Amino acid sequence: MVEYTGKRLIQLNINGEQFSLAVEPQETLLEVLRNQLGLTGTKDGCGTGECGACTVLMDGKPQLACLLLAIDCQQVKITTIEGLSTGRQLTSVQEAFLEEGAVQCGFCTPGMVLATSALLTENSRPSEKEIKKALEGHLCRCTGYNKIISAVQQASAKMTRNVT
Amino acid sequence: MRLPKFSCVKVASVEEASRLLAQPDVETCLSAGGTELLPRMKYGLSRPQKLISLKGVAAEAPVLGEDGSIQLHALMTLSAVAASHLVQENAPVLAAAAAAVGSNEIRNMATLGGNLCQDSRCLYYNQPHDFQFTAPCFKRGGDQCYFIPAGKKCRAVFMADTAPALISLGANVYVVGPVGSGSIPLEKLYSNDPLRPVTLASGEILSRIIIPARPMQRVEAFAKFSWRPGFEFSAVSVAVVLDLDEDRQTCRSARLSVGSIAAGPLRPLKAEAVLAGGRLSDKVITAAADQAAAEIHPVPHHGYSRVYLTECLRAQVRRVLHSAIGPLAKT
Ligand SMILES: Cc1cc2nc3c(=O)[nH]c(=O)nc-3n(C[C@H](O)[C@H](O)[C@H](O)COP(=O)(O)OP(=O)(O)OC[C@H]3O[C@@H](n4cnc5c(N)ncnc54)[C@H](O)[C@@H]3O)c2cc1C
Ligand code: SF4
Ligand code: FES
Ligand code: FES
Repeated sequence: MVEYTGKRLIQLNINGEQFSLAVEPQETLLEVLRNQLGLTGTKDGCGTGECGACTVLMDGKPQLACLLLAIDCQQVKITTIEGLSTGRQLTSVQEAFLEEGAVQCGFCTPGMVLATSALLTENSRPSEKEIKKALEGHLCRCTGYNKIISAVQQASAKMTRNVT
Repeated sequence: MRLPKFSCVKVASVEEASRLLAQPDVETCLSAGGTELLPRMKYGLSRPQKLISLKGVAAEAPVLGEDGSIQLHALMTLSAVAASHLVQENAPVLAAAAAAVGSNEIRNMATLGGNLCQDSRCLYYNQPHDFQFTAPCFKRGGDQCYFIPAGKKCRAVFMADTAPALISLGANVYVVGPVGSGSIPLEKLYSNDPLRPVTLASGEILSRIIIPARPMQRVEAFAKFSWRPGFEFSAVSVAVVLDLDEDRQTCRSARLSVGSIAAGPLRPLKAEAVLAGGRLSDKVITAAADQAAAEIHPVPHHGYSRVYLTECLRAQVRRVLHSAIGPLAKT
């Protein structure tokens, strides 16, 4: 049994780096990422699980940073949009979003890109139905969804071509 | 949107959580995946001073018993339930229901036990109250309703999708509590009281869900209707499990269960009787759907009118029955 009352130091593994941070029990991962670490790629949209803008990967699986307590994220590897590419080299998913014009204001993009990366890691050739199912919790108010679906298909084609 | 201040205890087992919950020093609340509880706390609808978090308790994998029953750990995520081969093969209606909850991200966090213990919901209740609804409604201990202002009672509905699926399967739940543990039929978990839809006493926690053995000739299906799956809860959800005769055309018994249209999941018993004991034909299916629509009076909710929900229910009952027996019809 571990008790958290008031501010306390916790360890978080984010984008391959280990951080020691003082957080309150009620602070969400989203707040810690944005306010303490300046990782503002993870967007603060609805705050209640409905829009997908705050999506991060927890051990490779997309989860919502607005509904996670930071103190609950200590034993996992967290990947945010900042940790997806290495250096200035974009991933195939990021490139495909650019090339297909699947980005307008960009607010939904980090969540969409992370969810897509997780999908393609599990299933490199998803059908259109599988793409829609994987992204159904992500709201986009700008581009609509057609270009986003094409971007996922393009990334999938690129990745499978690279493999074979 | 920020969470109110609280302290948090992370426990190592369900038993430990139950002990702590039973003797609270301050107002205490259990949290599993947190996907329902945290939004409620952000809206100010729950204000526990202390959370007992189950995040540190590992969910055990599902087990197939020697008698063919399946045991599921209450802390399994809904993604794990939906992806489990054991569940897909032996209880496809549950795999389908788990896959229908929220979005991929929600299912990766949400637990099966948390889903079964969801609070009832209402369009007016489930939003921030500080500036729009200053006086509390019945569900917050007040004496008025915003949804039906002339109404004398709360009409919030119970919308968890896995409950109807598990009720159709005749599942039992194992409850761990301060004064003893034991299993009860899942149906008994629901009170049909919107103010307190789940009958667990203080300190009681769901630890396992037990699905009875699958007879050889069982077919089953689940359908959820909502305008925007992935964001919206069900307008109506319907689950059906049919036990068939050797010929795989005659129905021995049927269990239909309907969610999101009342303060708890409902079984249209007369519609089940229409199906039982006869050959399943298009005519029988239509009669069962009409009977379900006649005997259940949906509570209008989230902008859906009663007439709309009744027609929706009729269509969904037809749909699940066709999808359950679909492959048989061709043979
Ligand atoms: C955007 C969004 C969409 C959603 N869509 C759906 C949907 O389509 N269908 C649906 O059914 N739900 C939906 N939900 C609700 C929620 O995600 C699910 O009900 C989920 O399964 C809850 O599980 P949890 O582990 O996160 O529960 P928590 O939030 O941790 O807990 C929920 C409640 O159950 C209690 N509890 C948790 N575990 C136990 C246990 N083992 N024993 C006793 N009590 C327990 C908690 O104290 C709390 O009161 C949605 C939520 C969001 C935010
Ligand atoms: S239906 Fe219930 S929860 Fe909704 S406003 Fe009325 S009293 Fe409140
Ligand atoms: S900010 Fe987390 S889902 Fe919208
Ligand atoms: S690009 Fe603006 S919300 Fe999707």
